[in-house]
Amino acid sequence: MRKGRILIVIPAFNEQQNIMQVIRDAQDSIPNGDVLVINDCSVDNTSLRARQAGDVRVVDLPCNLGIGGAVQTGFKYAREQGYHCMVQVDGDGQHIPAEIDKLMQTMEQSDCDMVIGSRFLDVDSFRTSWARRMGIKVFYYLFRMLIGMRVTDSTSGFRLYNRRSIELLARYYPDDYPEPDAIIMLKKHGLRICEVGVAMRAREHGASSITPIKSPYYMAKVMLSIFFSYTRTRW
Amino acid sequence: MIASASSIDRIHLIGVVFSVLILLTVFLMVRARVMKEKYGLVWFFIGGFILVMSLERELMDTFAGLIGVEYAPSAFFAMLIACAYLLLLNMSVSISHLKSQNKALAQELGLTRLRVEELEQRISRLER
Repeated sequence: MRKGRILIVIPAFNEQQNIMQVIRDAQDSIPNGDVLVINDCSVDNTSLRARQAGDVRVVDLPCNLGIGGAVQTGFKYAREQGYHCMVQVDGDGQHIPAEIDKLMQTMEQSDCDMVIGSRFLDVDSFRTSWARRMGIKVFYYLFRMLIGMRVTDSTSGFRLYNRRSIELLARYYPDDYPEPDAIIMLKKHGLRICEVGVAMRAREHGASSITPIKSPYYMAKVMLSIFFSYTRTRW
Repeated sequence: MIASASSIDRIHLIGVVFSVLILLTVFLMVRARVMKEKYGLVWFFIGGFILVMSLERELMDTFAGLIGVEYAPSAFFAMLIACAYLLLLNMSVSISHLKSQNKALAQELGLTRLRVEELEQRISRLER
């Protein structure tokens, strides 16, 4: 068992400009946490920059697996090393590690298995693009219909998981755009999910992977995988 | 209907040659371990199917009549397309399977590399 009970997983793909700051913020915010960077086969110096931050573990994946495969590597590590909790903080700097505390408090108070940091609940965060807001609205109604739950920010990757959800998601985690899909999976397995409002930043460097052209494709793909997850009784 | 009969003969001949070629190629590939027996089996099935259909003209005509196609070679092509679809389906399943295996291996490799790195650091600290 490692020194900390909480593992901070930072998936990163070509984030050499952001990664160091994200790691340092995470270490400052959660001093008793361990930081694990999953370098998803970046072509820039993400791995080197991450190591330079110090007191950090870096997993260099041999080929690009996408966000789902990268985060699942974190779940597997957390499962093997016996962590009680795992929090995902994206390597692009959008998630503010200082807000992890809110996620942890919510988990303690509510006894949930996964806490989602939502940028649309209570707190004033930066405005995302209209396309993304529309997509999130569609998911909102979809989730209300399918699992009877109000999820205001189903695409948020800023999440805290407890041991139960770690063990489940280490076994299976969707490949691309896994966040909305994972909600259905956890619910289907009887795990409890809740949301808490957090502040988020607009990214400082680089661009989002979902461009307006890719949006409809993203929506279709996610909705299809949500549908399959919903119909699936076991895997 | 001499023209149509001869065209059927020709397509049957093509079918025979084609299927024998497939069967022979697949046989050689499986023997040379270029193709797994599992996939070879699917190809053997399809090749054999085409061969039987090409040799037994009546079978072909009966089949065409069954699915309501007047022109027998069309039925033959329809069957070929159906076979191609089956093969593609088979390939998609195999690729999906390979992809998830590949993902698991890549994750395991990444995690193992980290462990090796950490062990090396511990050893070098102990040796100092």
